[in-house]
Amino acid sequence: MAALQEGIYHAPGQRPDAFFAMLFLRAAPESTAGQIGQTFGQLWQTYQDLKAGKVRELPGHPVPPGRLTVLVGYGPKAFQLAGAQRPLPTDLGPQNRFRSPLPTGGGPLLLGSGLRYGEDVRTNLATEEIAVQLIADTQLAVHRAVVETWRTLSALADPETSSARLLLTSFYSGFQRDDKRSWIGFHDGVSNMESTERYGAIAIKPSGTEEDSWTEDGTYLAFVRLAIDLPSWDNLSREQQELLVGRDRLTGCALTTVDADGRPVVQAGCPVTGSSEVTDEGNAAFGEPPAVDDPLVKQSHVQRANHHELPINSRNSLRVFRQGYEFLEPLGQAPGFRAGLNFVSFQDTPERLRRMLTQDTWLGQTNFGGDPDHPVRGMDHLLVVRAAGIYLVPPAVEGEPFPGASILL
Amino acid sequence: MAYDVPGLADQLSDDLVVKWNETVQDAYDSLKSDLGSRFFTLDPGSLESPVSATVKWFGDPAEPNFCIGPETAQKLSDWGARGRQVLQNEYCEYHTVHQPDTSGRLRPKRVQVTTELREYWVSLAMHDPNTVRGLAASTLGFEPSWEDLYGVTDPASLSVQQRKEAFSRLVAGHGNDNTLVAAGVPAQPTGPLNTENALFMTHPINGLDDLLYIVLFGARPYARRTSDGVEPATREQIFRAFGVEHLACRHADPAAALGAHAAVFNGRPVAFANPLGMYVQSFSDFLFLYEDKPIPEAWVRRSRGAEGMSQRLEFGPSDEDDAFLDDIQLVRGDLAEPVTGGYQVIRELEVGPKVVAGPPTKVGDEEYVMLDTSTDPIRCQEATICQAIQQLRDEFEASQPLLRIAPRTMGRLGG
Repeated sequence: MAALQEGIYHAPGQRPDAFFAMLFLRAAPESTAGQIGQTFGQLWQTYQDLKAGKVRELPGHPVPPGRLTVLVGYGPKAFQLAGAQRPLPTDLGPQNRFRSPLPTGGGPLLLGSGLRYGEDVRTNLATEEIAVQLIADTQLAVHRAVVETWRTLSALADPETSSARLLLTSFYSGFQRDDKRSWIGFHDGVSNMESTERYGAIAIKPSGTEEDSWTEDGTYLAFVRLAIDLPSWDNLSREQQELLVGRDRLTGCALTTVDADGRPVVQAGCPVTGSSEVTDEGNAAFGEPPAVDDPLVKQSHVQRANHHELPINSRNSLRVFRQGYEFLEPLGQAPGFRAGLNFVSFQDTPERLRRMLTQDTWLGQTNFGGDPDHPVRGMDHLLVVRAAGIYLVPPAVEGEPFPGASILL
Repeated sequence: MAYDVPGLADQLSDDLVVKWNETVQDAYDSLKSDLGSRFFTLDPGSLESPVSATVKWFGDPAEPNFCIGPETAQKLSDWGARGRQVLQNEYCEYHTVHQPDTSGRLRPKRVQVTTELREYWVSLAMHDPNTVRGLAASTLGFEPSWEDLYGVTDPASLSVQQRKEAFSRLVAGHGNDNTLVAAGVPAQPTGPLNTENALFMTHPINGLDDLLYIVLFGARPYARRTSDGVEPATREQIFRAFGVEHLACRHADPAAALGAHAAVFNGRPVAFANPLGMYVQSFSDFLFLYEDKPIPEAWVRRSRGAEGMSQRLEFGPSDEDDAFLDDIQLVRGDLAEPVTGGYQVIRELEVGPKVVAGPPTKVGDEEYVMLDTSTDPIRCQEATICQAIQQLRDEFEASQPLLRIAPRTMGRLGG
């Protein structure tokens, strides 16, 4: 029996908890798949203990587990380990991976996409053998799991050389917002799929490649750490912002056209009388923006990211299930912080996301939205990539010591 | 109902436009009794405040991909006229033009992609040989002989039906037209004009009648009862209910049917926008590089339609250019690979008809088509078409020359 791992909040009524971390584990040089499997198996046990409130250093003194969930993904490098037991899945091939930053920093995330690495990003830290997603309802539960990861791996290191088989090389944390908006002030995640449709977009389906059949009912995780250039955003007028996003800034209602004076016009009837935002009760029908014919509105972010193609469980629809977390981190230069989004999506093939980001009339050639040939000033670098990776999230299979054990052991 | 010619591509006499509309009407009439409803009209002008409904899909053949995987799908689809005639059935067909380079090696030069409906060309061929010859000349870049078009030196001497049969035999194939099948016209053309070129679509599935069928098929308020009330039926339920699960696995059928269904479930009638046709709706030419730079604009030539309604795309260097198609790199993700055939081109484009929907109307309880078929996933790779595709793969592999693939071992590449 195989099923999606925990940590993907797709079922009706489920909502992800408020705190998040994505951590990346690198295999030490010369490590074999078997050695990595043994080490990760012990780390997995640590996570199971933490979910039960057990901390190794505090036997008999449980701590609040914080509804911790743990999800593991495997990058292409995991399949290159000596002795790996599974071939690289077709959809994890180079055609569906992000490009590396330039050695001098910067460079496109994908040819055909307007997303670029930060000019100071020379190394992509999100491309290790293993990625682990932690989600909990307290920041402590997530952060504790990060520290216990280090502690477990250190304890497993060779006592003579102190070298560990698996190294925690980086992690990124984030939080959910209860205002259902993003740092740019607009509603976000409002048009995510109906919960009944999500599984069809997320779960890997049988394919014509027999060697990949073991991945069925798993999924692919895409992670992109995106910094937002808030000073440039704040320089825009409200109308400019709304036309770029495709929604009214205050109500969140989708735009359908512009009037004779070029002012955005929102969907008729939204929000319903007696409510003030698209997220208020009674406005569910307005969550997903309608198909529009206005060329200006068609170029907005929400219209480019979703062409309303059906069925959603077809890869043609380019729909992905987003489960992102915002972040705010200190920065040693003005404005003193970096705000952004940990973009996380799950999909049956990373091809959906790659195409969404690079296809003509979708987000291809744009950084966020608008006319790629005549971008609004500053909007060709509104979003800046700090790190990015694609991982196979194998199904949880009954009897396996941890999801994906059959890759390594 | 009075549709203009597809893509507004041609200036035709009123008589020829009428003949085209008769062709459309005949195709609709043949389906109306089984699939017609108040939710579909052949007259887009009758819809109040029409809004575009999204109906499009990627052009690459879906069936070989889900049957045998993407790598072999590419090889088979690129296998000349044979690959085209068997596999290119997503309303997008192509032909790869090969030319010798200076060393005499035959190399791919450019790709001709067409989404033009066969029935339009047959209609012209029946009623105005001079017009069809002129269109063929402007499309192909040379004037074809009457023999290549009709098999005779004087098509005026043939009756309308004889011209239909002759043109179909050589250029268009039978398109599942009963009269042509009865007359012994083969499914695919036997002449060079549309086998050594992609002049217009010839795969019988890529026809006007199938296009009408899939939209009409979807244009009914299929529903399922849930604890929350009446909800739209799923792809699986709809295709399973009518015993056509295999169609659910393709690109075109579910996209067109469910695109229509999404509107109709809310009581919105749908119609093909004027002009009815199949169009290239997007093409990511910026994913292709030549000498690490964007390809020259002249290497992407859209035609056979007004802006936004191209029905033809020629991709690659012209005869005057020294470069070849495989000098171009397609960059997907972290992979750059030379373009060796049309499959890589049509995978990066979307095709579809223009469909519009009217305002919502109340759907009466009696109008819902209630389905109780299973919502379980359809296992596409178990479709019977996969057996035919596996046979094609065997045929393809057998056609490859024997090579030394290892010391003391001869074998065939491919597959």
